[in-house]
Amino acid sequence: MVLEATMICIDNSEWTRNGDYSPTRFQAQADAVNLICGAKTQSNPENTVGILTMAGKGVRVLVTPTSDLGKILACMHGLEVGGEMNLAAGIQVAQLALKHRQNKKQQQRIIVFAGSPVKYDKKVLETIGKKLKKNSVALDIVDFGEEGDEKPEKLEALLASVNNSDSSHIVHVPAGPNALSDVLISTPIFTGDGEGGGSGFAAAAAAASGGGGYDFGVDPNLDPELALALRVSMEEERARQEAAAKKTADEAAKQGGESSNSQDATMTENVAADDVKGNDQMDEETALLQQALSMSMGDPSSSHSGKSTGDVDMMDASTDDQELAMALQMSVEESAKDTEMNKVLGDQSFMSSILASLPGVDPNDPSVKDLLASLQGQGEPQKKDEDQSKEEEKK
Amino acid sequence: MSTESASTAITRNQVDLLDFIDWSGVECLNQNTSHSVVNALKQGYREDEGLKLESDADEQLLICIPFTQVIKLHSMLIIGPEEDGPRTVKLFANKEHMGFSNVSDYPPSDTVVFTPEHLKGKPVALKYVKFQSVRSLTIFIEENQEGADITQVQKIVLYGSTVETTDMKGLKKIEDH
Repeated sequence: MVLEATMICIDNSEWTRNGDYSPTRFQAQADAVNLICGAKTQSNPENTVGILTMAGKGVRVLVTPTSDLGKILACMHGLEVGGEMNLAAGIQVAQLALKHRQNKKQQQRIIVFAGSPVKYDKKVLETIGKKLKKNSVALDIVDFGEEGDEKPEKLEALLASVNNSDSSHIVHVPAGPNALSDVLISTPIFTGDGEGGGSGFAAAAAAASGGGGYDFGVDPNLDPELALALRVSMEEERARQEAAAKKTADEAAKQGGESSNSQDATMTENVAADDVKGNDQMDEETALLQQALSMSMGDPSSSHSGKSTGDVDMMDASTDDQELAMALQMSVEESAKDTEMNKVLGDQSFMSSILASLPGVDPNDPSVKDLLASLQGQGEPQKKDEDQSKEEEKK
Repeated sequence: MSTESASTAITRNQVDLLDFIDWSGVECLNQNTSHSVVNALKQGYREDEGLKLESDADEQLLICIPFTQVIKLHSMLIIGPEEDGPRTVKLFANKEHMGFSNVSDYPPSDTVVFTPEHLKGKPVALKYVKFQSVRSLTIFIEENQEGADITQVQKIVLYGSTVETTDMKGLKKIEDH
């Protein structure tokens, strides 16, 4: 629980009319500011938050640091959008406002929202940054909106000159479907400097915001154990995938290395052995790959037959085998048009599993087995259709 | 010989003002957070030679010390390393809300140039008349001995006496019976 005085610098320039963050950049920013104010005042009752606007006719302090959340939220209404953002002036005014805070025990922090281009040179920003550092002010930057004109670089430079033992942070938020406040909630701007109280801080902020984009759609406040279990399992899965990716990359590198090494006469024997081994592995892998491919190719056909069974089910109770045969025939004909499908049809186990799923067809029936064998033998749709219909008739 | 008598005079009539510092209001700008002002001011910490106050972004330091009651400041002692110890120190009486941007706005109550000899433990007498009614003291360390980037201070001691006033913060509300 850090005791902090915070000044939030809002960008209300013309650039924030843009609707690339829903509903507009300005509104998205206002939501995020509300959320930050709530989080800050909740994390410690003695925390104070102030707000100023950087554009318009000039830098204007809306509220000096106060712990009265109502006062803070009220000043956000009826703000006018217009003019150009003056980043340097905004930060300096914020620093001045922080300097005259009532409680000297409070750490000073400035949070800057920068949604429009930064017109200042890197040098100017760095000088300001050094001044902030000297006055022990921490700086958080939310970089969103316009990206041109080396804006991220400039802001990074500003941050680097301020940053003192990792107390300052920068967040780049690209335009997207996620709300600005939802993105920010998991960043160090909310969670603090990775302290124990950090997660509680974020959770409190989430509660204050009235829910929204939880991970996995589970509210961690209501069911912390479930949320934890989900998170842990997700992390494990991610680690597993990373390990697998690394392994394949290593293998690829190893094989590359071997082929280059194979010229080395002394190594030839070992390499040959290794190569064989590697090839074996590769063969196994390609086989697996092909199997996976055929499975994925088989998907449409299996759904196809699924559809036909559904059709059959939907028919009257008087459904006879003739109709079933017709449906089957149609589906087989359709799938047989595709040359890739022939392979699938050639796969005996796959076909028998499909047949087993069809009502009224016994895959162990000798005639069906014959049919399958003939399928494998020629893969000629006409013939097998005849066979099939014959077989159905026999039944 | 005269300096000798001065230093004995310091210790004779004046007391260490440590007990009258209002700790909740002590502030130091440009301090390295892992080597904070507490290392140089608080009893116990300041006696430990390993614990030092260090500057962070550049060599300057600004220390603001409020007192719990009005005091008279007679002299001060700063101990620090010979190379990185403070050299030019400006003192301001009763100037709150000072920052690096406005240190040159007011004339300092006194300016002291520390020599390596002072930094080994010799107190410096101040312009006593300028510090007759001090509620808060701002110490601005402008530069260090060898112009290094980081200034180090091991110990700061303020000697003076209290003006006969009531310590308002020491008063407790009397409950009605």
